[in-house]
Amino acid sequence: MTFALLIQSMVIGLSLGSTYILMALGLTLMFGMMHIINFTHGAVYMLGAFVIYYFFGQWGVPYVLSFFLAMLLLGAFGFVIERCIYRPIKGGIEPTLVALIAVTTFVQALGYPVFGTLDKHVPTVFHGMYSILGVGISAERLIIIPVASVLVLGLYLFINKTKMGAAMRAIEQDKEAAALQGVNVNVVNALAFGVGFALAAASGALMAPIFKLDPMMGEQPLLKAFIIIILGGLGSIPGAILGGLILGQIDSIVATLLGLEPAFLLSFVFIILLLLFKPTGLFGHEV
Amino acid sequence: MQRFITLLSLMLCAAVAITASGPGQVSAADNVIKFGVSTPLSGPAAAWGIPHKQAIELVFDEINSQGGLEVGGKKYKLEVVAYDHKYVIAEGVATVNRLISKDEVKYLSILGGAVAKANEEAVNEAGVLELPLAYAEGLVSPKNPLTFHSFPSPPETTTFWKWIKEHHPEIKRLATISPNDDTGWWSIKVETQYTEKLGYEIVAKEFFERGLTDFNPILLRMLAQKPDIISVNASPAGSVGLIIKQARELGFKGRFIHIGQVDTSVVSGIAGKPNVEGMWVHGYVESPLPESIKSWKERYTKKYGEWNATSIDFANPAFGFIAAVKKAQSLDPKKIAQALQNVEFDNLWGKAHYGGKDFYGTNNQIIYAMPFSEVKDGVATMIVQLQPPHN
Repeated sequence: MTFALLIQSMVIGLSLGSTYILMALGLTLMFGMMHIINFTHGAVYMLGAFVIYYFFGQWGVPYVLSFFLAMLLLGAFGFVIERCIYRPIKGGIEPTLVALIAVTTFVQALGYPVFGTLDKHVPTVFHGMYSILGVGISAERLIIIPVASVLVLGLYLFINKTKMGAAMRAIEQDKEAAALQGVNVNVVNALAFGVGFALAAASGALMAPIFKLDPMMGEQPLLKAFIIIILGGLGSIPGAILGGLILGQIDSIVATLLGLEPAFLLSFVFIILLLLFKPTGLFGHEV
Repeated sequence: MQRFITLLSLMLCAAVAITASGPGQVSAADNVIKFGVSTPLSGPAAAWGIPHKQAIELVFDEINSQGGLEVGGKKYKLEVVAYDHKYVIAEGVATVNRLISKDEVKYLSILGGAVAKANEEAVNEAGVLELPLAYAEGLVSPKNPLTFHSFPSPPETTTFWKWIKEHHPEIKRLATISPNDDTGWWSIKVETQYTEKLGYEIVAKEFFERGLTDFNPILLRMLAQKPDIISVNASPAGSVGLIIKQARELGFKGRFIHIGQVDTSVVSGIAGKPNVEGMWVHGYVESPLPESIKSWKERYTKKYGEWNATSIDFANPAFGFIAAVKKAQSLDPKKIAQALQNVEFDNLWGKAHYGGKDFYGTNNQIIYAMPFSEVKDGVATMIVQLQPPHN
């Protein structure tokens, strides 16, 4: 591998890493708050992309408005799931897990009759190409970096600087103690579901013009997001950022150097080695 | 009450999920010939699977509307029993088992090399006649006497490279990328051997998992070898669209070629029309269409609402099956198989037969003049029809 190719693959890795961070944000928030693995994350990512397909691609609603609509609609879907599934089964980890898998299967199965069986596409929103250190990056990929940064910053400020964020952190530390202090656990949980789903929708909405759309499109991002949050530490936002960047570089440099299969294998080898020495991941803590 | 509502919701979810993945209704009436179809009706390869099912259904409907298929003085209605295998091997095995055991079909068509290979033994043991649309090494061979491959395979379609050599001598360096399964391995193996003999330099050979969406790292690796042309042999339309889009973003200016079969209108939608310009493709023609195909297009569009050019060649299993049953005047799969090796019939491109003994050791591969197109102004325009190198 020449030095130029190494630099180019690092630029690609940065672009990949930004998409991975975006995918992992909502997942890590919900785990951090409620200690549940949100299996619907991939399905919500897919629904977010299809909101863009219909509102922007088919009905001509401006992209930015469609983007916020996707977050809003899927955020509301998160509230519904919390109210109709999570709350009635009292937030038990295993029942919630099974119920969320059922919701995912339902949404994906319903996707084919509703959205059609052929791959869909969304017109490019951000036109143009930029050359960074000799590698061509499209504007639609570059825009992910500032959007991911804004969402990360927004989430960080929300959790650390607002009253509702403080309530979330209190529940994360001790749900019973928080409730005794007057925190309405149900409301905060509903909000965490809403925000988590809205972040997954934002990720799908942003990726829609870059990739193709089909009802199963959320499966691979879900797998990547799992790898990232385990790598970064379950529930840790800084961990998701670092995990996303590391995985982006592994996927890019190793794939460019050795091929796709070794890159896939190496990401797991890296995680196993890391967990052997630090079982909680890079920034995680004991649950 | 809340628990009840939750339980009810989950049961509803499961019921809808099961219904959505199930087959159409199966008639239990007498005088019905059931023909099984195991194909991807959803997922990345649905662009192949849907026209596969629809084309066979249309041919059968037209026979049924004329009173049915006459065998031994008795008229039979033809019925398709189709299942979606999503291009997942486990689903493919399950659907074929169901077709053979539960639906008791004696004739079937599987789409997808990996799925067809996984079902090889089941098909042979059950003595079922199979007319697959599938690329897989060893599928057409004397050890599978009842398997009749019904679409031109890489050993046939690679002949197009000879045409390229003659008409575009400036192309010298070839890079290939293909799905990481039986279909991809065999397609690339055959194509590589053929093109190397013709003097092409194979500068990159890569495989990817179906469902991959970000090809940038692997394309960076391929483009570092400076290919003149990229072969996306055996890749489904959605993947081809993403490969082309991302390769163009990385600065690739050369051509793309798919000598399997791909719907270039789906590819254009994803990659962008200008990016697909000049692509060569086998088996997908939008213009000019002969009268037989214009008529097929009208009938197909009338029945399904939307035209799909992939259906042209994917109707072959139905045409071959009907011709062989008529010749055999029997419903015994072995007798129909014998007839298939001797019958000449019309498909939508003209005369077709099953041959290929010189290459495969058995006459179980469909042979006809294969159409090749070039995407011009966004339209897959036929540039040449070539006979396979073996008869």
